[in-house]
Amino acid sequence: MKTGPALEVKNLSIKFGDFTAVDDVSFSVARGEIFGFLGANGAGKTTAIRTLCGLLVPSSGSALVGGLDFSDGGKGIKKIVGYMSQKFTLYNDLTVGENLDFAAGLRKMEPRYAAERRRELFELIGFDRPLSTMVASLPGGVKQELALASAILHDPEVVFLDEPTSGVAPASRARFWNLIRKLTEMGKTVIVTTHYMDEAEQCGRIALMSAGRLIALGSPEELKRGAFPGPMAELDFKGTEDVEFIRSLEKAPGLLELFPHGMRWHAAFRDQAALSAALTGLPPSVSSRPVEPSLEDVFIRIIEGAER
Amino acid sequence: MNITLRAFIKKELAQTLRDVRMRVLLFGAPVIQLTIFGLALSTEIKNIKLAFFYAPDDVMARRLEGDFYSSGWFKPVDFTAGEDPLELIVSGRADAAIIAPDEGLARSSERGEGRVQLLVDASNATKARTVETYVKTIISAGWAGKGGGAANPPPVKLDVRVLYNPAMESSLFLVPGVMGMVVCLITIILTAMSLAREREMGTFETIVSAPLSDAEILLGKTIPFVLLGLAVTALTLLAAYFFFGVPVRGPLWQLALGSLVFIITTVSVGTLISTIAKNQQQAMLGGFIFLFPAILMSGIMYPVENMPTTVIAAAYLNPLMCFMRILRSVLLKGGEAYVFWTNMGALALMAMAAGGLAYNRFKQTLD
Repeated sequence: MKTGPALEVKNLSIKFGDFTAVDDVSFSVARGEIFGFLGANGAGKTTAIRTLCGLLVPSSGSALVGGLDFSDGGKGIKKIVGYMSQKFTLYNDLTVGENLDFAAGLRKMEPRYAAERRRELFELIGFDRPLSTMVASLPGGVKQELALASAILHDPEVVFLDEPTSGVAPASRARFWNLIRKLTEMGKTVIVTTHYMDEAEQCGRIALMSAGRLIALGSPEELKRGAFPGPMAELDFKGTEDVEFIRSLEKAPGLLELFPHGMRWHAAFRDQAALSAALTGLPPSVSSRPVEPSLEDVFIRIIEGAER
Repeated sequence: MNITLRAFIKKELAQTLRDVRMRVLLFGAPVIQLTIFGLALSTEIKNIKLAFFYAPDDVMARRLEGDFYSSGWFKPVDFTAGEDPLELIVSGRADAAIIAPDEGLARSSERGEGRVQLLVDASNATKARTVETYVKTIISAGWAGKGGGAANPPPVKLDVRVLYNPAMESSLFLVPGVMGMVVCLITIILTAMSLAREREMGTFETIVSAPLSDAEILLGKTIPFVLLGLAVTALTLLAAYFFFGVPVRGPLWQLALGSLVFIITTVSVGTLISTIAKNQQQAMLGGFIFLFPAILMSGIMYPVENMPTTVIAAAYLNPLMCFMRILRSVLLKGGEAYVFWTNMGALALMAMAAGGLAYNRFKQTLD
């Protein structure tokens, strides 16, 4: 087992001509960590991941992946990482066996070792269909699990998953995240991007990207505490929003932020005293209860803060 | 052999050959095209309605008439001696009319002016030219056979094509052309489409994320199509040999080497097209943009020699024309070394240029 961080990124920038896709980003990821990349489409997540997989060479700054740098053009890095891109990674018009054979061939794996790895991974993902099954005939969730198996067939140290669960049924998403946790238990480092907040909650740490820059980094708890140091209340107007009450609440001392959350409103305060003061004597049509801020609340606040 | 290349070959062959429609397209279509070009689209013309006018006592002309009708190309027209030959053609009752001199063929030829007038309906120029050639052939054959005498050279000269294709069977001439065309089409389209599909679907990301050299990826994506191209060449050759009686007069190694270098060129062209195309439709379109001029300027259907000088110069940059010449030379003429090596040299240069260019473009599109 190697020591040192799995990823060590310092002032990394990636430019395409005049366009800066990744702008002066620094972070490090420990071995065995689940590290989440979040951000809107076009925020630079995929570019950052493709670079760390050895597909792009940094324009400036440095990145060490498993202790390896880009002096060989990324070839060494490619050997120790597994990459599952957000597009198709399996061939629909090939069988399961043919797909995995091709993946093994791309990695120059000996056939016997490849077959052994295949059996291990089938056990891990609970795949028990025949090898001659056409990939096109598999359900979406199974296809993604198989794509994961194909991406880690060569037993990489660091695994990059770019939106692995988009378009997959919720039950299958939960199964997939179980697999991700199993991988880290086996000592692998997993870097994952997602648009689902419930998945982001399961990451050890999250990096939030916006317009190529890293605007927040930390565990879900840390991010929540950083964005909302005080308590938060959820207000339920039971269908009829009391506009006057909302206007008056906006002026309450110690209110940090008041924003709609689905059918309800969330009000964040500086401290418990401010919350109590503002929410005593609520009209009977409004009920309130204390809530934990969701990651979505956190990201909205951080991104608004970054844009201001 | 390299594990990765073997994996690529297995994968591409599995993808291409799994689909029944694709198999039919690959191996059925060439045979169908051979049939269409070899039989249906024949430039050979049969059942030409011929009226032969000669004086009743002209024995030589009568014998010649027999030669015409027994050749299989001509059939007799009913007419009366007093009719105007021109009228026969204008009315469409005859396609051609031959008028022997009144004094008789034998006598006029003795005086060295064996003139026979030929009237041909040239509303179809190709047909008219063919009829003219047939007539010349039969007359000069008749001349030589009927004691025209060595002192009198036959009044007509033989066409070069007739030399190698004495029966004027157009299938002999067209089938090698179709072979070249089919191989060219299949290799370019398959290669360009396969690469464009990987890019479009995103599977290309998986390939480039593996620690492979640029050359390994390029060879992996092209060697399978070189192999498929060779298989299709062999198949069309067998069909041409067994179904159309196309001879193989030259050495097989010339055929094999020529096909290999030609296919390397076309697969490189397919790769080049795929580096420019954004998706499968564009790749398909790009393939055809290359194919149409390549086919038209290859000499398969129209002789390159009849084209304007500047076009002829461009035609020499056409790999299909060089392959065409090698094919016809080996199959029909016996594979003369000069023809083979000049065209082979040109093909090899084109293969290197296209291959080099494809490699460079391909490298740039990997990121």
